[in-house]
Order: sequence, then structure tokens, then C-alpha cells
Amino acid sequence: MLKFIVRRIFWTIPVLLAVIFLTFMMMRQIGGNPFRHTERAVPEAVQANLERKFHVNDPWWKQYAFYVKGVATLDFGPSLVLRGQTVNDIIKEHFPKSIELGVYAFLFAIVVGVPLGMIAALRQNTWVDYSAMFFSNVFHALPSFLVATLMIYFIALKAGLLPTSGWTSWEHKLLPAIALGFAPMALFARLVRGTMLETLQQDYVRTARAKGLRYRRVVGLHVLRNSLIPVITAAGPLLGFIITGAFVIELIFNIPGIGQYYVTAVNARDYSVVMGLTVLLSVIIIIANLIVDILYGILDPRTRDART
Amino acid sequence: MAASTPTGIRDEGLTVEQALGAPGTPVGQSNLWKDAWRRYRRNKAAVVAGTTFLVIVLYCIVWPIISPYSGNEVDFSIAKEGPSLAHPFGTDKFGRDLFTRTAEGGRVSILIAFGATFAILAIGVVYGSISGFVGGRLDNGMMRFLDALYGLPYLPFAIITLAIIGHTDKWTMMIALSIASWFTTARIVRGQVITLKENDYVRAAKAVGARWYRILARHLLPNTLGILIIAIFLELPAVILGEAFLSFIGLGISPPDASWGAMAQEGRATYRTHPIEIVVPSIAIASLVICANFIADGLRDALDPRTKET
Repeated sequence: MLKFIVRRIFWTIPVLLAVIFLTFMMMRQIGGNPFRHTERAVPEAVQANLERKFHVNDPWWKQYAFYVKGVATLDFGPSLVLRGQTVNDIIKEHFPKSIELGVYAFLFAIVVGVPLGMIAALRQNTWVDYSAMFFSNVFHALPSFLVATLMIYFIALKAGLLPTSGWTSWEHKLLPAIALGFAPMALFARLVRGTMLETLQQDYVRTARAKGLRYRRVVGLHVLRNSLIPVITAAGPLLGFIITGAFVIELIFNIPGIGQYYVTAVNARDYSVVMGLTVLLSVIIIIANLIVDILYGILDPRTRDART
Repeated sequence: MAASTPTGIRDEGLTVEQALGAPGTPVGQSNLWKDAWRRYRRNKAAVVAGTTFLVIVLYCIVWPIISPYSGNEVDFSIAKEGPSLAHPFGTDKFGRDLFTRTAEGGRVSILIAFGATFAILAIGVVYGSISGFVGGRLDNGMMRFLDALYGLPYLPFAIITLAIIGHTDKWTMMIALSIASWFTTARIVRGQVITLKENDYVRAAKAVGARWYRILARHLLPNTLGILIIAIFLELPAVILGEAFLSFIGLGISPPDASWGAMAQEGRATYRTHPIEIVVPSIAIASLVICANFIADGLRDALDPRTKET
């Protein structure tokens, strides 16, 4: 087991380097020099100094090596547009809000989605099952901006129960978290229902029933544990989904998180910020996949050798 | 349903006559596509979804031609109207007929969705079949590279791609949407090619001296067609929603032309007083996505009965 974990962690390093490399090469293609487009004219000497400071004229491999060194020491460099701010400052300011939003959305998805899937599976082919699956199909397809807008319209504006935007008190956080967690919730419900139906057919479930175990206990002891594995497997891809959704949700609810800042930075051609945020998001996805793989290896020993 | 027969055709939901033809006639030939079509038709949800999908596509193609309004026709005297007989979906803040505008936006959205999906499939098939067919070190290297790409967050890379190109229209949108989403297709195709490669008929073809390109073109790729058709409808929802998200955060195609996502973005400005403007295009997006999901389900049962959703 230890060997599997070590090998898996070791393999993450070249993946990280490759992802940074790809981001880096793509950013180089955007073109335009942030120092040549400022409104205030800068003397040629200052211009040259700036370009030297930011390694603008170095060959790409030098820039890349320099950047990797920075990332390795958790230093993403200065912002090219905001004076006196580093990318680290921006991450520190905006990132915690996005993480909080993502975690709440994830919790909502699990707390509502898993029981919904369980109930649907235990009441298979009844109206409970059909309506749960109908709604999860619909919710999985609704674009999150519609869910968010309708919630603001009916709950915040018409009923006046919760604030429409901002990120200060728990009242502000409720609607965005639910809006972002809606589609993952529907996905969890469908996944849990599927595996639970499969698990219910297994021999060991029949054995447990045959030896006289009460149905509730069988479900709680055998079925539930084995039905939760896909929730862990789906968590990796879902993270990407939540990141995408957060871009939209942060915009609608006016939450000063990473997603909202990302678009601003792209439009301002603030390369170092865009690059830093992209690398950060990639690293998070890679680490999440790593954790999922290791957890999966612990839960299901058969996968240890197949996934290196 | 006929009484049970020893042939097992009862499981297919057929009568003896349907399966074997009327007594006295020769046994009817059944091929893959006929079987698939029959299995597809048995899935009611998939049939309804397929029909709805066609209706939506037809509406988007035909309605702008026969509509009395143009989607970009501004008339402030009828701005922000609710649904009526003259304007079934109402009008937007410029007095443009939303029923016509939704159809026109649908043309753009559906074109982008199919274009990006085919680009994804094309890249995926080329990458996956080379990797699976050649095998060995090249396969290993290509798959490790794919592992690395899996770490890329989809939306940021689409945004960076749009920034590199510098302007957004239908074509650049397709590129941006396909650039970070072909990985899964490549993996599926590789897996299929590797499985098929070991089949006896492929070995037989090799033994009689068929060249590699003939084996690839005649035996391997045609047998991946089924999963590719399923893949189209699995990718479509992701691409439609991706386009909507990009447009919604303001990186979509420029006005006055609009996709559904761009319409929703415009509607966001007036949702407090006139919510229908954001609801109509969003529902259009959701309907297409739901239909595509159910079609994919039906196609999976029809074309690839062995695999099941996990």
C-alpha cells in the first residue's frame, strides 16, 4: 500500500511540471506587452528596466525555469497591472472565499444528494424513485445561472428572505452555495442510486439477509458503505465542475472570489495573475485526483496496480 | 408477447413472427443498425427526447425564415412585453421578439455545439487510435501526457484560448471549447481499439497480409462507430453548457448576434423586472441538454448493450 502511495505521489511531479509548462506556453501566445500599453508614457530606460525585472526578453526556457522555481517556493510573482500587489496577495484575498463557497456547495450536494439517491434506490420503481430521478435529471441539466437567478428573484427579491448578493454573513452564503451545489447534488443522487441498486443484488447482501439480519441493519452495514465509493470517485471530476460553476455563481452573487477576479485579470492582460491562478487551479485538481486515487486504492485494493 | 421460445428472442421483446418472419418465408436478416433502432425505440424516454431534440433543431432552422419579425429588429414601443399571441415568449428590453431571437440564438448555439463536438471527436479518434494501435512505448507516453492534461481546469483554458486568438466568433468559440475537452474521447477510443486489436478477425486480416492502414480503416474504426455516436451525445451537453458559461461571463460572441448563453447574459441585466429574458434562453439550453442526456442513454442501450452506466 505504501509503495502505491509513494509511486502515485512521485508521478504527480512530472504531471505538475507538464501542466505548468502548458499553461506557460499558452500564456506566451497571448501576445501584447503589458508595459507597452499603459496610459502613462514611461521613459525608455525605465521601460528597459521593467522588462529586465520581469524577464520579458529572456528566452522562454529561462523564463520557464524561473517560473517553476517561483511556484516551487510558492511565490507566483508580482501582478503586472496592480502596482505593489503580488499574485500571492491576490490569491490570499480572493481564494479563501472561493474555497468556502466550493466547500459549502459540496456539503450541500452530499447532504441532500446522497440520501435522495438512497431513498430512490430503496423505493425503486415507485413514484418516489421516479420523481427523485426526474428532478435530478432536470437539475443536472439546468444551467447554474438560471438556478441562481430564479433563487434571487423568488427568495431574495419577492419573499425578501435572504440578501441578493455579497459575501459577509451566513445569510449571504446560503443561496450561492445551494445554487452551485444543485447540479452536483443531482449527480450524487443518480450515482448513489445506481450503485446502491447494484449492491442490493450482491450475494453478501442476500447472505446477510438469509442469516436473519434485519433489513435496516443490512442496508446500514453493508449496502451503504459500498454505495459511497462512487461518491469519492466522482469527487475529482466534480471539483472541475464546481470550479467552472463558481466562475458564474461568483459573478451573479457578486462574490469577490477567484473566478470573478480571473475574468478581470484576463481582460486586463495581467499575465502573471492569470498564470498564477490557472496553475493554482490545476494544482488543486491534480492534488484532488491524487487524494481520490489513494482513497480509492485504500477502499478497493484491486485498483492499486492498475492505476500508477 | 408470444409464448416463451427456446431461442431467447423473448428477451428482445419480439414475437416469434417478428423475429423469424411469417411462417414459410425465409428467415429475415437482421443487422446491427436494425437491432439498434429496435432497442432504441423500446426506450420511451429516449424516443421522446429524440423527438423533442429534432423539434428544437427544426424550430431553430425554420422559424427565422418564416417569422414575421427579425431577431435584431428593435422597436422600443413594445419593449419588455410579456408572452402574448404576437410574441409567444414576449419581447426583450429593445422590443425584439424573443421567440424569433431564441430560434436565431439556437442556430448559433447548436452550430457551435455540434462543431465543437465533432472537433473533440476528431482529435480524440486520431490521438486515441494512434495510441492504442501502435501500443508499446508510444502508447505509454501518449497516455501519460493525457494524464497530465487531465489536470487542466476546463474553463480557464477555454478563456486563455479565447484570449490568445483575440476575438470571439462561432469558429473561435468551437476551438476554445474543444481544446480542453477531448481527453475522455481519446481514452475511450484507445480502449476500444486495444480491445478490438486482439480479435480473431483482426489477426486473420494481418495473417493474410493486410497493411496496418487497411486494418485500421476497415476493421478497427468502423467498430468504434457505435461508441462514437454515443460520445457525440455525451459531449454535447458539456459543450452547450460550456458555451453558455463562457457567454454568460461576457466572453461569448459579440452582439447583436447572440447564442443562448449570450442572450441569458443580456437578460441578466433586467432580471429584477423582466425575468423572462433570462428564463427563455436558459430553458432552451436546459431542454437541449436534457434531451441529449436521454438520447445518450438510449443509444448506449441500443448500440453498446454490454456496458452499463456505473
